[in-house]
Amino acid sequence: MNSLVQHLRIFGVQIRNNFVREAVYRTNFITMVIVDVIWLSVEYALFAVIYANTPSLAGWTQPQVFFFLGVFFASDALFTTLFQRNFWNFSDLVNKGELDILLTKPAHPVFLALTRWINITAIFNLMLGIGIMIRFADEAGFQGGARWALVPVWLAIGVAAATELRFAFSIWVFWTDRSWALSRLYYQFFAFATKPDALYPKFIRYTILTALPFAFIGSVPARALLHGIEPREWLQIAAVLVAFTLFNAHFWRKGLQRYQSASS
Amino acid sequence: MNPGPDTNWRWRWAALKNGFQDATAYRLEFLFEVLGSAAVPAAIQWVLWYALFTLGGATEIAGMTYMDMIHYTWISLLFTQIRGGDHDFELQEMIRSGSLSTYLLRPCSVVEFVWIRGVAPKLFLTGLALVTGLLLSPILGLNPLNLITAMGFALIGNIIHYQLGAALAAVAFWWEEGYSILMVKNMLVSLLSGELLPLTLFPAHYHWVWKSTPFYLYVFAPVQIAQGRWTPSEILTHLGTALIWLVIGWGLIRLSWGAGVRRYQSLGG
Repeated sequence: MNSLVQHLRIFGVQIRNNFVREAVYRTNFITMVIVDVIWLSVEYALFAVIYANTPSLAGWTQPQVFFFLGVFFASDALFTTLFQRNFWNFSDLVNKGELDILLTKPAHPVFLALTRWINITAIFNLMLGIGIMIRFADEAGFQGGARWALVPVWLAIGVAAATELRFAFSIWVFWTDRSWALSRLYYQFFAFATKPDALYPKFIRYTILTALPFAFIGSVPARALLHGIEPREWLQIAAVLVAFTLFNAHFWRKGLQRYQSASS
Repeated sequence: MNPGPDTNWRWRWAALKNGFQDATAYRLEFLFEVLGSAAVPAAIQWVLWYALFTLGGATEIAGMTYMDMIHYTWISLLFTQIRGGDHDFELQEMIRSGSLSTYLLRPCSVVEFVWIRGVAPKLFLTGLALVTGLLLSPILGLNPLNLITAMGFALIGNIIHYQLGAALAAVAFWWEEGYSILMVKNMLVSLLSGELLPLTLFPAHYHWVWKSTPFYLYVFAPVQIAQGRWTPSEILTHLGTALIWLVIGWGLIRLSWGAGVRRYQSLGG
């Protein structure tokens, strides 16, 4: 319990530090908003082109897909706010020996490594994602009411999945000299998260629901919010996330054994 | 001192060699990069065709059958690897960090130097894609001459992509967030180049959107040529368009870098 309070206190300090840092770089805010709005527009345009040729895609109507985009965008914005920049700097921690400092501090080094940089301005994108969800909720057939309370739960599951996945792609930096290609590979696979999982053929669908659970980022949450999911699927989500946590913890420990401090 | 023509070619050759060695020094990463950037857009395309035709029961969309779409996907794989890399990001980072200074002292154009380094692995991939395409041409029903012409188009697309990227990277002379503009450009390229879907799927009244950018020359145009969908006169028309974009790109680089370098303070950040 004491440890939890201590880590929460550290997280509070990190937020304050990052808030001050972001206040200095105000143009960053506008830039991020523009980039993300265009990214969303491109995804929107892609589906608009497809729906210009068909009324329904694997049972998903156009408003349902746009609702999914809102959920996905909100989930990704939350990940960007909390973790993305830390993962970009993760390889430097190992390659430049910056991990040394974190290992000497009285808090878990993974926690410190993943909470050092917080992108507060990305919260605007979270609001934008939620705004899109609200805009298309009725047309998509979302029941609303008390079901809105489930949105934070599903966004948290989406962020947890993205974090576990990104960590699993980043951890290999202890063994490889550069993690750039693996980070890029993560973003290549991330494209699978940008479409509802119902669209995928069985093999890909199975993969993105188990070994590479990109569907947990936006697709499963959107599906769960719109139609609900069965207890079996709840269990599957929990099992996959626990398995990823164990996998990442194992390779983190192995990586630390291999770590040779500065410029390993 | 003006370096002689011999020296001029020597640095270009050295940059090309250096670019290739740099890209392949980390072979596993190079392989990941190629496989990832080839397989994933293809898989996404396939998924869309699967959803539209197999799950949705459509028989023809925008005049294309399921097999036409699959053919498009397979053939587009030969060209998606050739369209530009991310070396425009390298340029903006040089400006932003101040490391451009060391390049400005060298007797060569920094914009050209970065392009030559970046194009080296692309030339290797072009060769590989061409050989693969020629070997598969009987199965995919491709005419070898069309395929070679299409590769030529893809290479012109690579140059245009870099030219536009380099001109946009010059924004970093004025604004430290230049990378965002490049990211936006890449997002638009992914949709308007034809690497995600055939551009004929756009509703007819929106065709002007992709026709008014040069991005369709990167993937969509080569696929159309390779599949023999364009007549020789259409190919010539699009080649003319490509040449106009090359001149525009060249002009934009001259303008943006000319003004930017005059403003450059070499302080970094």
